[in-house]
Amino acid sequence: MKNLIFGLCLLLIPLSLSAEIVVIGNLNSPVNNLSKREVQDIFLGRTRALPNGNFVLPLDLVELRSNFYLLLTNRPIEQIDAYWARIMFSGQNTPPINLPDEQAMLKTIAENTGAIGYMDKRKINEKLVRVLLILE
Amino acid sequence: MRPSIAVLIFLASLFSRTTHATDWGSNWSVSGFGTFGAAGTDSNALGFHRDRFEQQDVTRGWGITTDSRLGVQIDTDITQRLHATVQFVARDHVGNFWEQNLEWAFLRWMPSDTLSIRLGRVGADVFVLSDYRNVGFTYPWMRPPHEFYGALPIYHLDGIDLSQKFNFQNNLLTAKLFVGHTDTQMPADPVPASEITPASTASVITIDAPSIGANLVYETSNWRLRLGYAFMHLLKGIDTQPLADILTNPLTNIFIPNIGSVAPHLAIQNTDLHYYSLGAHYDDGDWLAQTEASYTNTQTVFFPDTFNSYVSLGRRFAKVTAYALYGIAYSFDHPVSIPEPVIDNPLVHQLHQFVDTTINHNGIHEQSVSLGLRWDVLPKVALKTQWTHYWFGTNGTRLWQTPANTQLPDETNLWSVGVDFIF
Repeated sequence: MKNLIFGLCLLLIPLSLSAEIVVIGNLNSPVNNLSKREVQDIFLGRTRALPNGNFVLPLDLVELRSNFYLLLTNRPIEQIDAYWARIMFSGQNTPPINLPDEQAMLKTIAENTGAIGYMDKRKINEKLVRVLLILE
Repeated sequence: MRPSIAVLIFLASLFSRTTHATDWGSNWSVSGFGTFGAAGTDSNALGFHRDRFEQQDVTRGWGITTDSRLGVQIDTDITQRLHATVQFVARDHVGNFWEQNLEWAFLRWMPSDTLSIRLGRVGADVFVLSDYRNVGFTYPWMRPPHEFYGALPIYHLDGIDLSQKFNFQNNLLTAKLFVGHTDTQMPADPVPASEITPASTASVITIDAPSIGANLVYETSNWRLRLGYAFMHLLKGIDTQPLADILTNPLTNIFIPNIGSVAPHLAIQNTDLHYYSLGAHYDDGDWLAQTEASYTNTQTVFFPDTFNSYVSLGRRFAKVTAYALYGIAYSFDHPVSIPEPVIDNPLVHQLHQFVDTTINHNGIHEQSVSLGLRWDVLPKVALKTQWTHYWFGTNGTRLWQTPANTQLPDETNLWSVGVDFIF
């Protein structure tokens, strides 16, 4: 029964979910890769630093946000929004900055050493950013 | 003095950073939350309000004041380690609308990734929901459980808090200390009865109290466990001196012999309150459960020692959450026997009854069961509906507004519908 409900939910999710999402960072950052757990800590605001101690600047991509958090945390976006509303409106932390498109994402990451974002694997430019984790 | 600190920080946050935009956008963010809700009961005598500082109540005639609110928050990063937050919540609140509803106004300094120090007007982080009670979007229910949160009208403190995080094998332990001062305004009910105590005609009282507290929160991916303690010293509360003066007056003691002996029971100034609390929250994405229990130890008849608790269980079906909630509040009353009048005069009887009500009728004996639905109908918008049935013990409706000299029902229903949103 549970599998059936889950299957039905999957049908409702756009096909773009099948595309791989990669977590990306700045080329000059000493961080070469991140574990899924580290990415969760960064995007859920549990840490404000990269494993090397540098400040992190997490970035969301509007159109990929739902898929990204579903792959990362296995939770639908409304639960993530409720989670961030709790953290934010109790004055503990601020959520990742929302960027409108891939171009803004690539540009922001290239210009900020501590920036961490994500993108459709097919759209990245490895001359500008480094892949830190592949989410499937 | 204290409001001016909050105002100062608000202004500092406005001017410390002119809209200096970086490549990834502005350092400023404006966000907010709100609830538009309507509720009604099937009783004309019992008026429901979710917080004791609310001016309006809802009865059979329904009303929108108890749950509706709109909050706006401004955040700005001054430096990487220094941040300012100001939050204002427009809602029904007696007293000074602007000052009382200025919820947060603080500077947050993070000297390290795990240490955070906040200075200014900060949340009175006494229970699990304390800091986000206003944000309906963050919880499944229509409002925080009434038996637990209805008794605690204090939302913020002017002061400082310090929280330190510790990592334990991917789980997070947060230890927090806070110290500050609250000036929370509440309706004066039931003490005024201005015809008897002419000097205390003010309809608003101020809970003027320094406070200190600590809590520990342990978080795993699905669990959040919490242990807390808070202490409050009431410097000022209800002005009971005019009534005490009447009771100790020799003339009064002729009509009601020995009535002066109950005057010390009216003490509220310089009394202490201790809150002890335990809470657990579980959410695995499908099932969600939450429970809290607290014990409040006091030295005044106006807020008797009370045990408060609730248990909630919910289940998500895609975008719909169904939940059940049980709450209980039970005060440990110590009735004081009030000497009887020796003359038959209506005014003397009225005084006798008033003293009895003031001292002996502050009990909270309330239980309720709720069933409700939350539907996340749009991104960042949730519709809710909730039915609650309340039971009251004798002298147990202190969390409700009650007219004087009216026979109160011992059960009532409350229906609510609402929409919660964030932006």
